[in-house]
Amino acid sequence: MDELSLYVLDITMNSVRAGATEITVELREDGKWLDFTVSDNGCGMTREQLAKLENPFFTTRKTRKVGLGIPFLKMLAEMTGGYVKITSVHESESSDHGTVTMARFGCDHIDFIPLGDMVETVKALIQGSPEINFVYRHSNDKGEVYLSCAEMKAVLGDIPLNEPEILSWIGENLREQYKGIGIV
Amino acid sequence: MTVNDICKDIDAEVICGDTSKEFCGVYVGDLLSRAMSHVECGNLWVTIMSNVNVAAVATLTEPAAVILAEDVELQEDAFKGANENGITVLRSPLSAYEICVRLHEAAV
Repeated sequence: MDELSLYVLDITMNSVRAGATEITVELREDGKWLDFTVSDNGCGMTREQLAKLENPFFTTRKTRKVGLGIPFLKMLAEMTGGYVKITSVHESESSDHGTVTMARFGCDHIDFIPLGDMVETVKALIQGSPEINFVYRHSNDKGEVYLSCAEMKAVLGDIPLNEPEILSWIGENLREQYKGIGIV
Repeated sequence: MTVNDICKDIDAEVICGDTSKEFCGVYVGDLLSRAMSHVECGNLWVTIMSNVNVAAVATLTEPAAVILAEDVELQEDAFKGANENGITVLRSPLSAYEICVRLHEAAV
């Protein structure tokens, strides 16, 4: 994983697996830091699960005994002078449950890796889970890129978002917006 | 060839695990996500990373041994993870490059 977008994809897939119906992926750049936050309304984690999260020998997967998503993210963030902060409310605790994962990376740091192609990442997420209402935001000092699946669904009605024409329109629209904030 | 056969060649000490394992091939690399997809079962994996994630990647990829170069110290939770999962870990004062040269000379 030599691009940050792969980490965003990996963390967002945790939200998908947690049964979320609403997932917000937000990237913020201020020149010094790149912060990304993934918030969901999935099943959340218990305090015990949360405490073990940074240990790669803990995983909710049944297929293998090692989970490296969060450990790798934490290692990379800390290598660039940043950090990872995770808060979660388990479904047994409250009806307002879900998880927020925030990761901060130092853009000037020598170990910072390129962001990669976020447009393709967002498309991959929508293609894989068209039923989920993703909100995507990416902001810098020039403005903001914004996409809301719920708003698109309101216009499109019954047409699923993973229809090839829709996905390709989403890609073009995002790239157009990215030009507007100086990222090509 | 077994892990034990090359310990002397690379001035390595055994940190944990069984050194009677047969090995085949070598992978060198520190980017763990990449090592995860490139270390092959039975390899010697040479790296300077020494945190718990190394033990986790080794659990997935099953190298015959992890060789820590440049005398890096295996962190405590990494030692625990390696020990509990039967990972063999060696440590050498040599650089990764020098370890590979010596392994080559030993006709690996």
